[in-house]
Amino acid sequence: MWKEHYRIGSELIDSQHQELFGRVASFIRAVQGEESWEERLDEVQSTLEFMKDYVVIHFRDEEALQKEIGYPWLEKHAAIHNAFREEIREFAQRVEREGFDEEKVQEFAAKVMTWLIMHVGKEDQRIGEYIREQGGQQ
Amino acid sequence: MKAEYINPFYKATIDVFRIMLNLDVQRGQLRVVEELGPVSEANVVIGVTGDLRGSLLYSFPKSMALEMVAIMAGMPMTKLDAFVCSALGEVANIISGNAMTHLSGTDLACQISPPQVFVGTEGTLSMATEQAIVVPLITNIGTLELSVSLTSANGR
Ligand SMILES: [Fe+2]
Ligand SMILES: [Fe+2]
Repeated sequence: MWKEHYRIGSELIDSQHQELFGRVASFIRAVQGEESWEERLDEVQSTLEFMKDYVVIHFRDEEALQKEIGYPWLEKHAAIHNAFREEIREFAQRVEREGFDEEKVQEFAAKVMTWLIMHVGKEDQRIGEYIREQGGQQ
Repeated sequence: MKAEYINPFYKATIDVFRIMLNLDVQRGQLRVVEELGPVSEANVVIGVTGDLRGSLLYSFPKSMALEMVAIMAGMPMTKLDAFVCSALGEVANIISGNAMTHLSGTDLACQISPPQVFVGTEGTLSMATEQAIVVPLITNIGTLELSVSLTSANGR
């Protein structure tokens, strides 16, 4: 899922994005696998658990980078991060309450996939453009 | 239903398909239909409220729907299951949201409802009483037919 052109020019952020895409890919493989749902559930649960913590770390680091380079749209960007973090948290709480329903998890995986592609492919690329425009000034 | 409402959707589709799918989009011949109804198997309906009111219907051929999600997921998809349908709903949702942003540039403030996905080519959508304009959005993995049925809420 990761594409080379997603690089924004920060080693830390680029490696975190690669990790995120890799995790989402294995999440999708687990969610869409041929084995019985019970057999796939372990992988689904552990990936969800990992992602919940990892987005917190990634968003924090990406926002710190924006601050460091004086990125002008950091507030709007942080609001988008917050909304997504909240969605993941809500879903995690919901499955804790109601259990891991296969269809609900499939729907959620699709949302995470499309969000990540669109966010890294569009919003995060603006950070990369800003870094390139400011080039040499840091 | 004004033809100028169509352009924001075309622009948004070009943008979203390039970012999410790395696909070029050509616009086909517009046509007017009396009722909003599915053209192909995989369908997403989104309601619009605000200065413009009505419905949007994104109709994808099955093979195109599967290929789109395969491109995003980086793995083959074989059926229109909850994962594929939800992903299509999200793509339509993102396109519609971006189109609303373009429309707000023309001083029209609209909100969209969450996407509803259904599979099959049967029936019409009863909530639409107005005419719709159908825009074929042609890509090399198939043609998405987008039906737009919008009317101005205050007669503008
Ligand atoms: Fe990011
Ligand atoms: Fe971000």
